[in-house]
Amino acid sequence: MPHYKLTYLNMMGRAEHIRLIFAQAGVEYEDNRLTQEEWAAFKSKTPFGQIPVLEVDGKMLAQTGAITTYLAKQFGLNGKDDWEAAKIQQLNGGTEDLIAQVIPWFREQDLEKKKELADKLVAEHVTPWLQRYEKFLTDNGTGYFVGNSVTQIDLGLLQFMGLFSHVLCPETFKKFPELCKFMERIASLPNIAAWIQKRPKTDH
Amino acid sequence: MPHYKLTYFDIMGLAEPIRLMFAQAGVEYENVMIPDEDDDPTWEKLKPTTPHCQLPILEVDGKVLAQSVAISNYLAKKLGFDGQNEWESAKAQELVQAINDVRQQVRAWRKEEDEKKKAEILKKLEHDVVTPYFDRHEKFLAKNGSGYFVGSHVTQADLHIFNTLQWWQNNHLFTEAFKNHPKIGEFVEKIANLPNIKKWIEKRPKTAV
Repeated sequence: MPHYKLTYLNMMGRAEHIRLIFAQAGVEYEDNRLTQEEWAAFKSKTPFGQIPVLEVDGKMLAQTGAITTYLAKQFGLNGKDDWEAAKIQQLNGGTEDLIAQVIPWFREQDLEKKKELADKLVAEHVTPWLQRYEKFLTDNGTGYFVGNSVTQIDLGLLQFMGLFSHVLCPETFKKFPELCKFMERIASLPNIAAWIQKRPKTDH
Repeated sequence: MPHYKLTYFDIMGLAEPIRLMFAQAGVEYENVMIPDEDDDPTWEKLKPTTPHCQLPILEVDGKVLAQSVAISNYLAKKLGFDGQNEWESAKAQELVQAINDVRQQVRAWRKEEDEKKKAEILKKLEHDVVTPYFDRHEKFLAKNGSGYFVGSHVTQADLHIFNTLQWWQNNHLFTEAFKNHPKIGEFVEKIANLPNIKKWIEKRPKTAV
């Protein structure tokens, strides 16, 4: 087994999808969490001045999507064939599009503006997105988003949809019963439940 | 060979790296281009039938795949642009995402209408984003040593990076950065002169973006 080292800040953020993959696979890795000062010093050592980065026996890989795909392939969490792998990426791409919409709300400091942005976001982007994703889930018919067993996208979506179910719009999220059941199903997978219990508790 | 059908707007945009892959591989596909107008009836009718209400989509023997990154990664594997092993595949994906990050930032310049602000944004982009990007990528090219970004053959990374950089060159953007990074310029030339790429560029519809 290669030596894996994941470097990020002390938060879930973009690294949590990667950490969930390691957890589900039951694979040991160094979960290297930097302070802001340490990050400033480390930045120039990264390929693109960004984190997360994954080191595999010392070789560095950047970009969350490249990292999750690489690891999912190594650990059998990338679907059973090229088409399932592509469908996983398609669903992931849909989350990236929504993240771009969410970021202005996330960064807004003025509480009144934040509420306005939240309402607009939920009505115009999040609700249609949840409708589409509930349909992807039910169309697949297995309780997982792709194929008939857990893949990396189930883990990524558990993390991503937590933003809606627990932070931005819990009431809206409850209107999607299949997505609610999905969240419980994935969070209860033994390795995932164990990780969620033991991981550092951070706001994001 | 499966039947491939790519549907996108009648611009280069997000579909062009995919079209470059088909061209380089010499693989036939149906290149459906629909008018890029907000209220165009073709798009209005098609939109709700697509997985994410967006384009591009790729149909493979009738099965639909959406999201340009998913399509690009799928075709890279099928058409031989995915590197020689898992690490090279990962590195190619990494570089595609990196150029996409930069493209996103350059969009701000494209969207700005005020000419004076536009010039300021461009200058800031050149200094803050493109020059560091070129610095890193010249090093990647030099370290890899083959003239390509990953391994010793063309990968999807080369085609994505070439596509964006050639557009910048054709639109006279970041001329200082290009001047100061000769290996980047050589790379663009190299890909532009691959016979299948050259042929496609000559015959493709000429659009602004």
